[in-house]
Amino acid sequence: MTAGGPADRTGAPVEALELDVHLDRLLAAGDRHAGAVPADATIDPALLGAATRLHSDLIRFHPSFRFEERVAARLAALADRMHLPAAAGAVGDPVPGPLALATPAYPELDAIASGAYDPSAPEGQPVPRTVLIGGAMASAAISIAGVAYVAWRATRPPRAPMARAARAVRSDRRGTGSAAAWRRASRVVRPS
Amino acid sequence: MPRRGCNGMARAVLRNASGEPTIARLDRDRPAVEAARRDPARFEALYRKYLAQVYSYALYELGDHHAAEDATERTFLRALAALPRFEERAGADDPADASTFRVWLFRIARNAIANERRTARRRPSTSLEASLEAGLAVVDPHDVEGEAVRRDDAAAAIRAVQRLPADRRRAVVLRLVDELSTAEIAGILGRSEGAVRVLLHRALRSVARDLSRESDSNERRGVTS
Repeated sequence: MTAGGPADRTGAPVEALELDVHLDRLLAAGDRHAGAVPADATIDPALLGAATRLHSDLIRFHPSFRFEERVAARLAALADRMHLPAAAGAVGDPVPGPLALATPAYPELDAIASGAYDPSAPEGQPVPRTVLIGGAMASAAISIAGVAYVAWRATRPPRAPMARAARAVRSDRRGTGSAAAWRRASRVVRPS
Repeated sequence: MPRRGCNGMARAVLRNASGEPTIARLDRDRPAVEAARRDPARFEALYRKYLAQVYSYALYELGDHHAAEDATERTFLRALAALPRFEERAGADDPADASTFRVWLFRIARNAIANERRTARRRPSTSLEASLEAGLAVVDPHDVEGEAVRRDDAAAAIRAVQRLPADRRRAVVLRLVDELSTAEIAGILGRSEGAVRVLLHRALRSVARDLSRESDSNERRGVTS
């Protein structure tokens, strides 16, 4: 029977189902280099050969010991942040600190811990860009500081004599204008 | 109240929709997961248990061990941060070896690998075959001839798997390298069990064709030389 044959109740062709049962047996045999596992005669021998070959030749890799320990240390730092012991006499649950501080390379951890981002959800859910948000906040802070500086600078009397003279002339004109405006306003507001 | 079945699998008596008692198999990682929820430092046991599986999955997917390390690290850090929100969803229909924590962890790995693939395009990578060379070089230094044959066979198998379309390759690696059940792979890839069986069937058919073509050309080369 081939892949185009009658379908089982889950929609898979019969040979695919039989092959799956054979793979279960192959994996249950444990040893990757064990002898042939008894197979159903109805399955194509080429398929069985490919399954046996891949099972023995596709090895499982292990990362370096150094990498393993480095990640273990990072996980321990993160675990510390997640489970800060309550101070003596404190009331209520311990409050975890910012998780990203434990592993600065992964700023999304706080979003995960708060439930704003589910890392196991199917693709399409965007990873929160807390770094970008932080950058935007930083640039906004710089802008606010800039505006504050300009406002402060404008209220300071300039040190140069020429600038002082120009400022005096301008304030004099402004004062005249202001007095006229005040008089107009007074006329409207004041009851007759 | 959870109790142990004859195969060591935790079970619980639950009520179905009509109120009848049913036996549900529970996640075999449940004790370790609960311990890690109580004390996040105990997550280390789960990390050590699944490190090689997650790393291998990432390595076969990304083909570069630096990228695989990044994806593996990201997977476990995300899993620990999200552990308080992990929900066990083992059902009565799940197979005896089902581990919903493992499915959840591999879903996180799948997303971390996808992120890594997007960023890794911009940097040079070493080939998976080079990683294999490095990995196999220390297997058995006394059996050099056998080692060379094994290495050639493994390289041919890896080439055949690397030539598969992404979804078929993923199914083969999860089934034959990480030794997950079809139900677990279906949960990870977001497909039905039937669809996963078809993916595996087609993948093995392609690999069989590829390997026979390769051995034919090797034989021809042997005859002519």
